[in-house]
Amino acid sequence: MTASALAFGYFAVVVMVGLFEGMIADMINNGTGLVMGQIQVHSPDYLSDRSIYATMGEAEGDVAALISEIEEDPAIIAAAPRVFGGGLASSGTSTFPAILLGIDPEREPLVSRIANVSSGRLPRAGAYEVVAGAELMRRLNVSLGSELVLVAPAADGSLGNDLFTIVGQFNSGIPEIDGSYVLMAIDDLQVMLALAPGRIHEVVAHIDDPWDAPPTAARLEESLREVSISVSVEPWTSLRPELVDYAKLAAGSQWILIVIVFSMAVFGVANTMIMATFERRHEFALLLALGAAPSGIVRSVVAEAVSLGLVSLAGAVAVTVPTLIWLHYSPLDLTSIFGGFSMVGTFVNPVFRAEYPWGTMLGSAVALFMTALVSALYPAIRAANVSPATTLADR
Amino acid sequence: MNLRTLIILTTLSIMIAPAGAAQSAREIVDRVDQLLRGRSSRGAFRMEIVTEHWDRTLEMRAWSLGTEYSLIRILAPNRDAGTATLKAGNDIWNYLPRVDRTIKLPPSLMGGAWMGSHFTNDDLVKESRIIDDYDIEIGFEGDRDGTEVWEFVLTPKPEAAVIWGRIVEQVRKDDLMPEWARYYDEDGELARSVTFSDFRVMGGRLVPAVMTMQPADKPEESTTIRYTDLEFDVDVDENFFSLRRLRSAQ
Amino acid sequence: MTTRLTLLLRLALRNVRRQARRSMLTAAAMVIGLALLMFSRSLGEGAHEDWIDAGVRLGSGHVTIQDPEFQAHNTLEHRVPAVELARAWEALNDTTVSRHVVSTAPRLAVLGLANSPAAAIPATIIGVDPDLEREFSMLADKLTEGRYLESGDRLHAYVGSRLAERLKLRIGSRLVLTAQDAEGEIAGQLVRVAGIFRTGIPAADEGLVHIPLSTAQEWLGTEGALTTLAVLLESSREVETVVTSLRDRLSNLPNVAVLGWRQAMPELDGAVRIDDYGDLVFHGILLAIVALAIVNTVLMSVLNRVREFGVVRALGLTKLETGSIVFLEGLVLTVASGVLGMVIGISFTLLFFRNGLDFSFMFDSEFTAAGVVINPVIVPQFTPSLIVKSVAFVVLIGILSSFYPALRAAKIDIAESMKFEA
Repeated sequence: MTASALAFGYFAVVVMVGLFEGMIADMINNGTGLVMGQIQVHSPDYLSDRSIYATMGEAEGDVAALISEIEEDPAIIAAAPRVFGGGLASSGTSTFPAILLGIDPEREPLVSRIANVSSGRLPRAGAYEVVAGAELMRRLNVSLGSELVLVAPAADGSLGNDLFTIVGQFNSGIPEIDGSYVLMAIDDLQVMLALAPGRIHEVVAHIDDPWDAPPTAARLEESLREVSISVSVEPWTSLRPELVDYAKLAAGSQWILIVIVFSMAVFGVANTMIMATFERRHEFALLLALGAAPSGIVRSVVAEAVSLGLVSLAGAVAVTVPTLIWLHYSPLDLTSIFGGFSMVGTFVNPVFRAEYPWGTMLGSAVALFMTALVSALYPAIRAANVSPATTLADR
Repeated sequence: MNLRTLIILTTLSIMIAPAGAAQSAREIVDRVDQLLRGRSSRGAFRMEIVTEHWDRTLEMRAWSLGTEYSLIRILAPNRDAGTATLKAGNDIWNYLPRVDRTIKLPPSLMGGAWMGSHFTNDDLVKESRIIDDYDIEIGFEGDRDGTEVWEFVLTPKPEAAVIWGRIVEQVRKDDLMPEWARYYDEDGELARSVTFSDFRVMGGRLVPAVMTMQPADKPEESTTIRYTDLEFDVDVDENFFSLRRLRSAQ
Repeated sequence: MTTRLTLLLRLALRNVRRQARRSMLTAAAMVIGLALLMFSRSLGEGAHEDWIDAGVRLGSGHVTIQDPEFQAHNTLEHRVPAVELARAWEALNDTTVSRHVVSTAPRLAVLGLANSPAAAIPATIIGVDPDLEREFSMLADKLTEGRYLESGDRLHAYVGSRLAERLKLRIGSRLVLTAQDAEGEIAGQLVRVAGIFRTGIPAADEGLVHIPLSTAQEWLGTEGALTTLAVLLESSREVETVVTSLRDRLSNLPNVAVLGWRQAMPELDGAVRIDDYGDLVFHGILLAIVALAIVNTVLMSVLNRVREFGVVRALGLTKLETGSIVFLEGLVLTVASGVLGMVIGISFTLLFFRNGLDFSFMFDSEFTAAGVVINPVIVPQFTPSLIVKSVAFVVLIGILSSFYPALRAAKIDIAESMKFEA
């Protein structure tokens, strides 16, 4: 009975923290992973007004060299080049403003989810193929296989325009993105914008732990400077500070809930241990009357509490860890109930996926264990120091 | 200064009264302005655009009918040849020969640059009369660099829907040719200026054949229009300004 | 039978009293659990109501009256003509509706261009009634410079900070608005900047302009027509009632649709729903822990009183009756302590946090969620449904956590139990 209180308290705290951490991690992944990426590399002039002329690289091999230089960094898993253009997408009688994004179809899926097409496939280079957002396609009244006219002012002052075939569609759930982005192979966009093949606007890099982005960005900028590539490297935390704020707020309010649940768990454990030990005070009194030393009784209570704590924690871990793993790999998907929605410009799926809160697992184990021990000890010491006659007479 | 104004600018000359006739500032500006409208024209011009990143020269042919209709087609360079812009009423269409498609400009892009020049699409659409929107005074009258000129100061009427705080325009007295116009914001800061030059007779009238637009915040940039050919009161009607015409090679 | 039941109840009560320490411990778990529950629930509800309130004020109200096609197309073509508006006002003034209504804001919104010598930027231009809108949207509170629109203003505009920056506008600057008017012609309107606001919401700061309604109607030639009547209610809980009653009255008007905020602002709806779900999960866990602590103590008391129950059984009580004693014991204990916990929780919350709990220490700047700026000060809210639900929870936990121990007590074998001598 006592064991189950301890085990359940542990289970509740750890699973809850795991779910909360999963929610925050998902939010950051959603926010950074869709288009922005975790680290962006630009020409130092680019971010101020996103001028089409603020490119990195000049000669043919420069892009490949820059990418491999960036991927040298041990923290970086993958990097992908991008070219941006602002223009119009038109079909039939409808025309809408569009953001044209040139991507490397091989590399882009490694750094963002914009290239995760919901239907169709990614564009091939040189084939005049594009992937468009679902909302833009709806507005233009086009479908897969349709022709799309793209127009954009090119870097030489001409009006770049070409006819493309829509081969894929993406549906991120964020109307601003689904309603404006058109993806194509980087080479095709460079031709349309009259940019030399070596000139790109952005490299996006992906790392494992998003919170590592700021130090990695600083290190990357330094190491690129050493090989005399002058660029500015921005982590997502400085590109989207409000996302950091939100993660902090979410963590903060969850922290309150965790404290509440945790204190309930501690209280529950303490409650049962105190009760269990109190109920045994007749037994202790008998032992005392039979000549046992008070310290011996206390020692035996401690020994019992320790073994009880260990056994129940072992049991709790045995239940908790598989639950977490299960929630990690097959998260609770409530999309059918709630639908998706966007928050801070980030798409949030009502999917609860657990992370592994190692720190909490250890911390709450120790804390609950100590609680069990102390709350067994207190009544035991009381009982051990009371004359047996008083206790037995209490009956 | 409207692009339309520029295109059909040379209609200026037909009204020109004999120099020296007593005219109020308002009348002069209004007559100049009036003559930029309500007539048909056909012309050919070169547009030289200089920006921080590139220079290019476009050769174009243009037709206009009053303020409502205009059609401009690019003849050279090859990369853009055949590209055309049609303005009919409030709408602007572009024809792209490379893809053989016509695109109607969404209203939200009316503020964008036209063909990479320093004119905006919005410059194409505006139709209001200068004297409806501005009060006109003579800021200077007399000899300037050896020429007798008027300097008109145009101040927007209290509720006129115009962005400028003030326009200053210099007009030669003897032939009523404009020399320059400067556009200021309300703080009195220069925003852009247009200069006119190479006054000569085209289509039977005296016109400034060259005009240069310069944004004040980028003094090294400019767009210059040079007329090579110009005719007035040509035989075009509303039906001429059709989407079919926009697409045709003529 | 009744006397039998009274007897059982008396026995149960006596047990509770006699085992004072054990009862205290069990009760303490319940009291603390419920107090915490009340505290966090009321904060949760308060946060929601704040969120909804902020969202609907800046958006289209708790209840939105507009043309059925307006939401999809957002053009002036889909406006509500003056005749139908008069009917809508009439319906709003009916006492069944008006007693819930805090404020109604008439709006004429159009997508257009904001022009200055510096640039031309797409913007949403809304003609508003300055006095009503000031109260309604709270955009007036986001003022950074100048002032909000006032009644009697004509050529005045209240613009977002990013828009002002990009167009290089200051207080008093000329601003030319262009848009397609009711006839489809492009029309220009001069206004002057009276005030600049900053909400922290990019869409508003970059592209929202308020001008006086009369100016907008004259400019766009819509006469008495509006695109939207936004209705603010006392609380989001009254939306259903008001929407139903307005729909009844306005169902025969072709250009009028009555929307609740969940329909009019699906993003906000989604955000609020998911937050609700998070709360549900959390409170489920909290209640489970409380329930477990109670099961534990009640069950332990049963196991320690095996002999006592044996005696009771031997004295002639049936299994059912023995079980009932334990069951009633648990129930009485949980309900009493649960209600106490609720009272403590409510009074604690009201005592210390009547004016709200300031969460601003958690983040530096204002930030937005689902297009709403979150106010860091959360005022707890108690709703009747919260109290009713909590009482139901308490009773449920009492029943559930007493049931198993009662079962155990009922199963005690008389002979075996007598052998026990603790």
